[in-house]
Amino acid sequence: MNFEPTIVAFLCNWCSYAGADLAGTSRFQYPANVRTVRVMCSSRINPAFIVNALLEGADGVLVSGCHPGECHYVSGNYLARRKLVLLRRFLEHLGIHPDRFRMSWVSASEGSKFADVIKEVTEAVRPLGPNQIKREQVWMQQAL
Amino acid sequence: MSTKRIGVYICHCGVNIAQTVGIEELKSFAATLPQVKVAENYMYMCSEPGQELIRKDIKEKKLNRIVVVACSPRLHEPTFRNTLVSAGLNPYCLEIANVREQCSWVHKDKKVATSKAKSVVAAAVTKVALLEPLEEKEVSVTKTAMVVGGGIAGIQAALDIADSGFKTYLIEKEPSIGGHMMQLDKTFPTLDCSACILTPKMSDIKNHPNIELLAYSEVADVKGFVGNFKVTVKRKPRYIEEAICNACGTCAKYCSIAIIDRYNEGLSKLQALHIPFPQAIPAAYVVDPEECRYLKEGTCRQCEQVCKELNAINLDMQEESVELDVGTIVVATGFDVFDANRKPELGYGRYENVITGMEFERVVSAAGPNQGELLINGKKPKEVVFIQCVGSRDKTVGNEYCSRVCCMYTAKQAHLVREKLPDAKITIFYIDVRAFGKGYEEFYDRVKGESVYYRRGNVSEVYKKGDKLICRAEDTLLGKPIEVPADLVVLAVGIQPSAGARELGKLLKLSTSPDNFFLEAHPKLRPVDTGSDGVFLAGCCQGPKDIPDTVAQASASAAKAVIPLAQGKVKTETMVARVHEQACRACGYCVEACPYDAIELQLQEVNGREKSVAVVNEVLCKSCGACTGVCFSGAIQQTGFTDDQILAVIGAIGKEY
Amino acid sequence: MDATSTLRSIAKEVLARKDVACLLGYEQGSYGFRVAPCVLTSPKEVDRLIFSPLCVHNLTNYLTLENIGLLAGKDIGKGKIAIVVKGCDSRALAMLMAENGIERDKLVVIGVCSPGVADMKKLEKRFPNVVDKAAVALSNGTLKVTCGGKTEEVPADELLSAKCTRCKNKLPVIYDELVGEPEEGRPDDFADVSELEAQNIEAKQQKWQAEFSKCIRCYACRNVCPLCYCSDCVLDRLRPQFVRRSVTYPDNLLFHITRAFHLAGRCIDCGECARVCPQDIPLTELNRKFQKDVKELFEYEAGVDPEAQALFATFRTEDADEGIL
Repeated sequence: MNFEPTIVAFLCNWCSYAGADLAGTSRFQYPANVRTVRVMCSSRINPAFIVNALLEGADGVLVSGCHPGECHYVSGNYLARRKLVLLRRFLEHLGIHPDRFRMSWVSASEGSKFADVIKEVTEAVRPLGPNQIKREQVWMQQAL
Repeated sequence: MSTKRIGVYICHCGVNIAQTVGIEELKSFAATLPQVKVAENYMYMCSEPGQELIRKDIKEKKLNRIVVVACSPRLHEPTFRNTLVSAGLNPYCLEIANVREQCSWVHKDKKVATSKAKSVVAAAVTKVALLEPLEEKEVSVTKTAMVVGGGIAGIQAALDIADSGFKTYLIEKEPSIGGHMMQLDKTFPTLDCSACILTPKMSDIKNHPNIELLAYSEVADVKGFVGNFKVTVKRKPRYIEEAICNACGTCAKYCSIAIIDRYNEGLSKLQALHIPFPQAIPAAYVVDPEECRYLKEGTCRQCEQVCKELNAINLDMQEESVELDVGTIVVATGFDVFDANRKPELGYGRYENVITGMEFERVVSAAGPNQGELLINGKKPKEVVFIQCVGSRDKTVGNEYCSRVCCMYTAKQAHLVREKLPDAKITIFYIDVRAFGKGYEEFYDRVKGESVYYRRGNVSEVYKKGDKLICRAEDTLLGKPIEVPADLVVLAVGIQPSAGARELGKLLKLSTSPDNFFLEAHPKLRPVDTGSDGVFLAGCCQGPKDIPDTVAQASASAAKAVIPLAQGKVKTETMVARVHEQACRACGYCVEACPYDAIELQLQEVNGREKSVAVVNEVLCKSCGACTGVCFSGAIQQTGFTDDQILAVIGAIGKEY
Repeated sequence: MDATSTLRSIAKEVLARKDVACLLGYEQGSYGFRVAPCVLTSPKEVDRLIFSPLCVHNLTNYLTLENIGLLAGKDIGKGKIAIVVKGCDSRALAMLMAENGIERDKLVVIGVCSPGVADMKKLEKRFPNVVDKAAVALSNGTLKVTCGGKTEEVPADELLSAKCTRCKNKLPVIYDELVGEPEEGRPDDFADVSELEAQNIEAKQQKWQAEFSKCIRCYACRNVCPLCYCSDCVLDRLRPQFVRRSVTYPDNLLFHITRAFHLAGRCIDCGECARVCPQDIPLTELNRKFQKDVKELFEYEAGVDPEAQALFATFRTEDADEGIL
């Protein structure tokens, strides 16, 4: 069976999540590999979330926010950009392929861009195969 | 942690979800998830019977957490929150699993979509189990408003708010209100005299019992939040007691310092002690401190001598600071005219007979320097050329947008030339003519019929040849270069955001769009709101507009600004950041990262020991989570999106189901 | 006068001051090349103080350890703490001040223009099994190592800590009293980082998997770091649990990414983490990568300005859009 990567996408509520909704409303098809996590703003993203997602089974991670200058919270995406551009370089330095973690700017009106981004990220991760840093033993059930 | 009793409700959305997601399979999967007591499905969950299903189960099966598997939370989250409230459950014990917009509508393969839907539901169940009930809070509102900018937008907004019965402060940076509209001669397409329709409104401002006009003043600081802004206004010294001056004008006759008359676009002079224009409101004189001999050199004071009886002149006046408490703010800071010097190829500044559209308004105005006669260097021009899109639709000057008024004001000005000089040859160079408003196309048609030559092409150069100016262009309809001689060239300069408004924008935390105008909250549905609650936009500060659109938007923003005042209270954000004082190390990163200045460090007693900790002002917090994103110790957490909740979702979502 | 004598005479005056409660410095250790941090409370004790290339510790760590460690049991009341800092240590002070970690007016800073400290691991490899008290002096690029009754001269760069061989500014950024004069700094071209960057992704992955697999999660790197001072560390917490306690490559990787990321734009390259690592994981390489990138991307350097804003709490609109779709 062909390898189907799992992509975890953190989307800001106001632009990228709305853009993903618009992709749906417009019926733009994209790979079902993506699982979205809604946050209010990309500035909320803690870099440890991204690594955690990779440890918890994601083969690729995407963080998407509003275009620069269009953040619903004035400047959150700029804060996110600083952290995450740096993180991406760092992960690459530790041997985690840069295609496994991407950022994108998708506005509420860019449904087709959202679909394209998901396609691009999924296609880039697929040839890399399963990520090698997944936690092996799931002996600790999530405490519900 | 107490056990949760979770209900999962799966919506078919007709066939929208059901055709690609296996509802039965999803339902039996949901029933196996931890703490799920009920898993149900229904054709339309948002319908009344659908909601009733949830309400009934909450009561009968004692559910305390609800997952609705349906469309985007951006659509029906409020609906289902109300469902929970009507069943006596806290509205924040709800999580929506979006399997329509982000699953069934974007994937075709039923197996794949069902598998994805399972992970979305698993994540929602995981999250809902960790959600805590939240309390909605309200704060009371100061029932006054402030309007910044005294042009037609600000005037209209202030009058509408004041007419609704609320005290309104109108702040204007110039000595008189009136703005750019006061400089216009006639208005398109009706040709009403601009002053005739504006000055009555200016008097209304002065006489309105609910309006306090603070002219010659600027907003220096804004603190607080919707309903409770604290504004510091700097009142520049006028050197004339506004309340005493009766505008008799005797003093000005004794002032020997001539300065440029900005009202007349520098085409005439007036005294350092002057009234900006005869109909100015407040109707009081003002001393230009940059030019007054006494204020510059320390001697003169002639004017004080002649006003001994009234004693309205006070050259020792100092700047004052006024504190205002206001509930809502309307920003109406207007525009600056594009600086034609930035297009040197068009000869502005080099040739006297190249003027801007705004200068043309003053030239032809009966109250202007020529008493309305169209004279250039004392002579009537025989050939007049108008050049459109100067500083608009021009990437080379950074203004990609259309200024929306130049096509029509040029048509109007061509008409005025025709009225005054029946024999003149009139040519208009244009890129496209945009005559989109009510009566505009008809007016454009009328002007074309008045022997006005519209030539499609961008003028590349204006140069002098003998006593004529030559406008060189490519006529893009003929496809060949042409040269048109002129005695007068009028540049249809565009509109730019007011340079002085940038500081105010920072104080009010307003975003700007790429064109540098203030950004509205939503381009279609919230055109006068901003990202800052309680702050609204009117007129050209939001983008180029003609007078009718400006007045309409001003009334709209007034109506919006009145809502919190009429309500008397505003709801505050519920999912605010909370601080775990023990873990806080008071580094202040959250304070710096917060775009709303909602966090400050305070000394508090924690475990019997005084220490500095971050404290969140819950009214200012807009729930973005930037603070949580920079906190190393996880001490500050955004409710509803805590580290714990997001990590749990990450754990649930990465798995195969 | 050598650094130790100057330091002692300054310390004597400082400790005699009424507003100063104690002084944090270095004294001779109990064996071999060991030097130990010490707390002095009286001018009479100043002869215990030393300064030499063996004074490797960054003492600023003790300022945030509150009442644990060296200061335990000493009632210093509201008095000021005097502290001996090298150039790198002083940058930690600047960083701590920038983020309200300590208050400037509670400190008397005795800056030492250190020409360099030894890499203890290299030193002990070159001179193994030294039990009797040994001494090391540095002058004109030569380390004089005295142990077992003999003195041997070694070119300094062979045994100096890597951070000292690339130290740009040996003058402390903050000081009230200064010992010695700064030697000229050396340019830092981040050649060490570039060398790693040039490797291919598989090589990087293998290198770090091997390194992180050695980690026993003793947290010594965190505890010794002057800038890791949260009293309640997220890495210790079970709820939310960012990092699981399983000592496996994935969670070790996450631990080290988190630790390094928390120091991005904050690490001042004192190298303490790598010095104390019992598994010899080259931890400074992680921090150095961030230092290089932060400088390249944001023109930001940690520990040069006690008034600086935090790297991650600020931004420039023209920041890099690298790799953003």
